[in-house]
Amino acid sequence: MSKISAADFVKAFQEAHPDAVKSMESTSPKRADLVVEYDDFIDAAESLRDDFGFTMPVSGGAVDYPDDDRIQMIYYLMHPEARFMLTYRVDLDRGDPRLPSLTQVWEAMSFHEREANEMFGIEFEGHPNMIPLLLPPDWKGGHPLLKDFKGEGQQ
Amino acid sequence: MKEPMIEPDVMRISWGPQHPMSGQTRILLDVDGEKVHRIIADLGFTHRGIEKILENRSFFSGIIPVDRMAMVDTANMSIGYVTAIEKAADMEVPERAKWIRTLICEMSRINSHLYAFGLQAESTGYFPAVFLWTTVDREVLLDLFEELTGARWSFNHFFPGGVHHDFPDGFADKVLKGVKYLRDRFKDYWDAMVENPLFENRCDGVAILKPSDALRLGATGPTLRGSGIDIDMRRDEPYNVYDELEWQVITEDACDVMARTKVRFHEIGQALDIMEQVALKIPEGPVKGRVNAFMRVPEGECISRVEAGRGELGFHLFTDGTGNPYRVKINSPTLRNMYVFERLAELNEVYIADIPVIINSIDPWYLDSDR
Repeated sequence: MSKISAADFVKAFQEAHPDAVKSMESTSPKRADLVVEYDDFIDAAESLRDDFGFTMPVSGGAVDYPDDDRIQMIYYLMHPEARFMLTYRVDLDRGDPRLPSLTQVWEAMSFHEREANEMFGIEFEGHPNMIPLLLPPDWKGGHPLLKDFKGEGQQ
Repeated sequence: MKEPMIEPDVMRISWGPQHPMSGQTRILLDVDGEKVHRIIADLGFTHRGIEKILENRSFFSGIIPVDRMAMVDTANMSIGYVTAIEKAADMEVPERAKWIRTLICEMSRINSHLYAFGLQAESTGYFPAVFLWTTVDREVLLDLFEELTGARWSFNHFFPGGVHHDFPDGFADKVLKGVKYLRDRFKDYWDAMVENPLFENRCDGVAILKPSDALRLGATGPTLRGSGIDIDMRRDEPYNVYDELEWQVITEDACDVMARTKVRFHEIGQALDIMEQVALKIPEGPVKGRVNAFMRVPEGECISRVEAGRGELGFHLFTDGTGNPYRVKINSPTLRNMYVFERLAELNEVYIADIPVIINSIDPWYLDSDR
């Protein structure tokens, strides 16, 4: 699986995990997007690392969609040989956003999950060190990157 | 930050944020005698909420806070945001503007690496003179910035669809003169610093980061290339006119502090080559198209990845058809490298006197990790 192209990867992954894929596409030779089913989140991630060669974690973040009542958690992964980027996404329930921590697959997602926790209120189950990363320890203003955030002291 | 539990028989030292070498962060060190068992980085002292600020600003005025994410490396910060907007709005950029952008980005990279160099020299404790040299030599670049853009720092020169000003009269010659001067100076740096036995003693074999660890921990920029992995966004996802110029991706195989310093050193050489090529080959033409400061971007999303001085900088831009971004996710290089720094004490024998040398070898800039 060394020099696989993004389009071939999309095909191969869909064949390998037909049930796990909610939607998947490659918009350009350097990008692939994968939305995964919630229940297969960890298994699919392990397969990406072990079978498809996504050994390099880049970053992680979330987007809030209050109209659809969901938060989408996005992990950015890179294929170090084929040099394309995969956004690995999973939709969460906005009322109670929780997710098994991906640090068990890519250790370096630790900082990014800590950030998503304080900015969006997502609970990461099994994270080894869940403490605020950027916000002050006495912060009481809620989760700043949610769309209904008004500012500290106004909630 | 709520501090994690301390192990028995270990002393915890808090280093920074007031320490002159630490920058705007606090590093907690669990030490047993001289040996460091664990490093904990406490980030967030300069968190300004740039991602939230961008949601409430138009695409044009959003460039201003993005520029301030790294003062020594402003051009490489704003180029990421600007290219993301251009991709999302499917805009054309005039050819000459792309060449001017390349020139400014490379000058900014030299500016950033010079600062890193000075701090690296300072942190070993032997070479305060080199820090003064780099600061003085940076003036050459700052004068060029001032003449071209009107400001020495945070010049906001780029906008979606072009750059603000064309070259003034005789500017290309001044660039060539500056390149020649800096090339001569770098011979001095190499002799005074890199080949100096005192510097080698402090840097050779310190904080080794094996290639497999560098990938696994998500290192980026000179930290990654110092471990022998040639990932560089300028070549892998070309933007500006990097694919039309002759230059190389620099890697070093030693994987230690010295390797990262040498990568920066050679990257300055490559950046000078690029500056020279731009000054000699830049095509004629307009530098900006029709500008709409209240532009709207169709609904969608796009990712831009650029190579800033400290590594890969990514912008994930979500748009909803209005004049503001819906959400901007900034993938900062320093945040990734800080995680590598935290793990280095577990991968190596790290001593407390090496901490300033190691942290400057990953060249952190906390304004971009905190955003």
